[in-house]
Amino acid sequence: MLDKLLKKHETYLFLIIIAYAVIVTSVNRSFMTFENLFDILRSGAGMGILAMGVLVALLSGGIDVSFTAVAISGGYIAVRVIMATGVDNLFVAFVISCSIGIFLGLINGLIISYFKLPTLIATLGTLNVFHGALTTFVGTESVNARQMPSCFVHFGSAKIITLANDQGSIYGLSVFVIPLIAVIVMTWFILRFTMLGRGIYAIGSNRESAKRAGFNITALQLFVYSYVGFLAGIMGVVFVSEVRWVNPVTLIGTELTVIAAVVIGGTKLTGGSGTILGTLLGVAIVTVLYNTLVLLGLSAAWNNFFVGIIIIISIGITSYRNKIKNRKSLSFKT
Amino acid sequence: MSDRKLFKTVDTKIWILAVIMIGVIIVLTFVLPGNFLTLRNFQSMAYQFPEFGLLALAMTIAMITGGIDLSVIATANLTGIIAAMIMTNYLKAENAGDPAAISVVVLAIFAALIAAAICGLLNGVLISLVGVPPILATLGTMIFYSGIGMAITTGIGVVGFPDSFLEIGAGKIYLFPVPLLIFTGCALVISFILNKTSFGLKLYLVGANPTASLFSGINNRIVIVNTYMITGLLAGVSSMIMISRFNSAKVGYGDTYLLQAILVAVLGGIDPYGGYGKVSGVVMGIIILQVLQNAFTLFGFTPYAKGFIWGLMLILVMIINFGTSRYQERSKILRMTDQEVAD
Amino acid sequence: MSDDFLIVDNICKSYVGVHALKNVTLKISSGTIHCLVGENGSGKSTLIKAVAGVVPIDSGEIIINQKAYPHLHAIDSIREGIQVIYQDLSLFPNLTVAENISLNQMVEERKKIITWSEMEQIAQRELDRIGVRLKVDDLVEDLSMASRQIVAIVRALTQDARLIIMDEPTTALTKGEIDSLFSLILDLKNHGISTLFVSHKLSEVLEISEKVAVLRDGMMVGDFVTSELDTNKLVFHMTGKEIVHSTFQYGGKKSGETPLLELMNLTKKPNYTNINLSLFRGEILGITGLLGSGRTELALSLFGLNRPQSGQIKINGRSHRIRTPNDAIRAGISYLPEDRHSQGLFLQQSIGTNLIVTILKRLLNKLGMVSEKKKLKAMTRYVKDLRIKTTTLEAPAESLSGGNQQRVVLGKWLATDPKIFILDGPTVGIDIASKSEIHHLIKNLAKEGMGIIVISDEINEVFRNCNRILVMKNGKIAAEVDPLQTTEKELIELVEKKNGVASS
Repeated sequence: MLDKLLKKHETYLFLIIIAYAVIVTSVNRSFMTFENLFDILRSGAGMGILAMGVLVALLSGGIDVSFTAVAISGGYIAVRVIMATGVDNLFVAFVISCSIGIFLGLINGLIISYFKLPTLIATLGTLNVFHGALTTFVGTESVNARQMPSCFVHFGSAKIITLANDQGSIYGLSVFVIPLIAVIVMTWFILRFTMLGRGIYAIGSNRESAKRAGFNITALQLFVYSYVGFLAGIMGVVFVSEVRWVNPVTLIGTELTVIAAVVIGGTKLTGGSGTILGTLLGVAIVTVLYNTLVLLGLSAAWNNFFVGIIIIISIGITSYRNKIKNRKSLSFKT
Repeated sequence: MSDRKLFKTVDTKIWILAVIMIGVIIVLTFVLPGNFLTLRNFQSMAYQFPEFGLLALAMTIAMITGGIDLSVIATANLTGIIAAMIMTNYLKAENAGDPAAISVVVLAIFAALIAAAICGLLNGVLISLVGVPPILATLGTMIFYSGIGMAITTGIGVVGFPDSFLEIGAGKIYLFPVPLLIFTGCALVISFILNKTSFGLKLYLVGANPTASLFSGINNRIVIVNTYMITGLLAGVSSMIMISRFNSAKVGYGDTYLLQAILVAVLGGIDPYGGYGKVSGVVMGIIILQVLQNAFTLFGFTPYAKGFIWGLMLILVMIINFGTSRYQERSKILRMTDQEVAD
Repeated sequence: MSDDFLIVDNICKSYVGVHALKNVTLKISSGTIHCLVGENGSGKSTLIKAVAGVVPIDSGEIIINQKAYPHLHAIDSIREGIQVIYQDLSLFPNLTVAENISLNQMVEERKKIITWSEMEQIAQRELDRIGVRLKVDDLVEDLSMASRQIVAIVRALTQDARLIIMDEPTTALTKGEIDSLFSLILDLKNHGISTLFVSHKLSEVLEISEKVAVLRDGMMVGDFVTSELDTNKLVFHMTGKEIVHSTFQYGGKKSGETPLLELMNLTKKPNYTNINLSLFRGEILGITGLLGSGRTELALSLFGLNRPQSGQIKINGRSHRIRTPNDAIRAGISYLPEDRHSQGLFLQQSIGTNLIVTILKRLLNKLGMVSEKKKLKAMTRYVKDLRIKTTTLEAPAESLSGGNQQRVVLGKWLATDPKIFILDGPTVGIDIASKSEIHHLIKNLAKEGMGIIVISDEINEVFRNCNRILVMKNGKIAAEVDPLQTTEKELIELVEKKNGVASS
């Protein structure tokens, strides 16, 4: 039992987090406070939601880097529409954002399944197309906190649990965890309990076999990329509410960090292998690093440095173990 | 699909590109009379594209081996920062003309190129010795290198270079801008390596089928490590031009170049799966892109509108490429499915 | 006939300029055991894929259960009861045994939600039915080849199959396991389930089948009743030619001659242990044994791709350390790999390039550049020497037939002037005419003094081309056989016996 646990990638991630927590807490006691942890949860929720989408895409043997453009498109358009129509309703905001997300995701899916393009480059293209379309055709006006419709503002500041700290100021567990948990449960259910999920693992594992087994590859791929878009739509609303200031040029550039987090979590780039727990741990590591290095006295300027090191080490270890395994079985297929 | 030609030669693609290139220039001359076809405009382009062109060359080499280098820009930024720090730490503005200043400049460039080679070396080692897939390895190093740069500079640009250094980005030798000469030199060297040396041939072979190259006695590791070192060096050279032109070094310069570098490589006929492509095609792709970039600026497009067009072009070019038999066969063989040739 | 389960009616299928199937007609009735034979290139694989609905046909009809399907999809074929076990098994390596077995059934039943206990139940039930012991939650990628084949077969049986098509199912099985498979096939027949068995092992074909369909060059030569056939007739139908066989005569070693290659106590666990063998100049040594016996692993060690843990490799009396293919090449060893498509050739590169990849150092001129002249000279020479049939050096290697492709691989290694040439499965997937030409070539090379090791599955290949044969079992050399003193049948029995070492 113990050695089965030791073999699992997730165990190591868990140990890294615990080790890090111990180190930081010994330097700065404010790490291990509810206030800090709630803060981390709030800022990591968005990445967590996106990471679920990336996980599904990677499991199917592909990759999607366009999701940040989809997210910001969904969020920004939702804000503008609500401002224009005056329908100050959070549910409507989600509907708008997710519809846009699914629509853009379908475009990705169609390009990839119909033309059979390599997924990295295709979605790199759509990233720029979506973002360019948003800024050119919708506009680049910022919307700041005063102008932001109240549904977003309330969503951003709502809390599930409210506590007061020693100085008397209020903090709490942000409501953002609700969409996060919903997305996690939904993804988990699909992957574990539906044929859709099995199909995704199948095409990632061995595409030709999946075809021969009668799976509808095109339909599965369309689902995968629409799902990524759908989740990006959810995240768009969360992001807009969190930041309370939105401009179409933000958020882009963070996609590779999200992918890095998913890969740290042990998901294979080649498809068919990866877990939700691993992904969440990867997101946790990246989020914790980004947020708490300041507690060690390091400025935010050091964030990428450490995240970069963690990525290299983590991916290095997984890849090297894979390489040894291949060498043992004398499999030369690179 | 019954009329597919199985043996499309490289040359037809190159001719098509040449025609497109000339066509684009002609069209733009008419659309922007007086603004486009001027010596000054062309000279200004000749100053602008080399830094990007070198990055595109770097990307091309990595792609020929079947990989990709997402860290080229981060490498360029980091090496630029290193050179900048050396120059600004050892020189004050008044020493600009001092002969000693030149030696510091040379030292700075030298240090930058060594740093660039080390960055490339790390990539090569991760990919060939540790076995990390190129996308992930260069993703990791991209974040890491930009992290180092960020930590050193805390985001503030490093400014103030001696005049001798600024000659790189702004100087001219008999009408030819220095950056252009540097780029042409590098392009010729790379082309020579790829076409005429056994190392170049091995690059293509490792990209085409790394298993077969292993079984043929080719040392894949050395080929990959050298490839990424060259990639790093090219990024380093590019950064010398870049920081010279901007007279400052900063994290985040050239971020948009990544997509464009891939676009130009694919446009120029490089197969992202590896093993195929020529420098001449990429160079023409670079020229086409620069010319279009220039025209878009004259039209008043925002950077995002340009990004929109680049993204669209990338997808369209890939679709056209993938419509031909070559890529379909390649990707099929690579996905280890059975061949469609009768068995 | 109305009780024919499957009728393939006059179908045609072409790929780019190649007619894979030309007016092929085949009828399979319920409860029969049918075999399909044909050389590589005959269209067997395409026919199977067409019947499975994985590949669309250009013309003709496929009629299953009296229902005509002009455009057959995989899911239709599966629903009608056609199950294919492909040669590569088409399993999902990262999924468990239970998932692999029950997945297809769930796809077919259009299930949306899955319950894990149901999957495991289905899998366990089917495994018990066949009487096989496998853990349902093991990952397929961790299983042995034989176990994987069993998973594939069990999977095929879970879905109310009416016709099971097996493509080369016995390559990894021992004699005992093959016997079990055959009795299973007979059992299926008694339940009205037909089997279409594709194999190149003619002895098996003649043993198990009731009818044999023969494909040659995309056309159906005929559907014969097995009892009216023998091996020679079958080969004649498959190739249209009579083949003359010959054996290999070895000149014998001179007294006191040092072996060209000597392996002493070479060990690499778990691949092989304590291998001792000698190879003399002019010998053709055969190594045979089942898949997994360690033959290829041993060969890879000699070529620098599988470093041994202990023991010595001596060439001409001198000890060598072979750590990389380059070391091997410099020591004079060449290796023709098992899988010529992914290991032996750069399919999209030109024939000429493929021929010279091993000798790039020799083609450099004084400046270190590759000399076009030397390159061209070398390419032309090897095309000629090996009689590679092509009109131009520029054509990509994938455009060649199997036999010609193998000649290219041979050529590129002969270019390095090897002393020792290891050939791993040199005639797999090659038409019979090319096969005998390659055998002829090998014998000539031995006569010129090269030491050759031929690793092969095919007993008659090692029998007719080697002067000594080693049988490997479970990583050890189990027996050494002199083809002049044994019969093929005895050799087959030696190889396929479960354990024990027999004396030659």
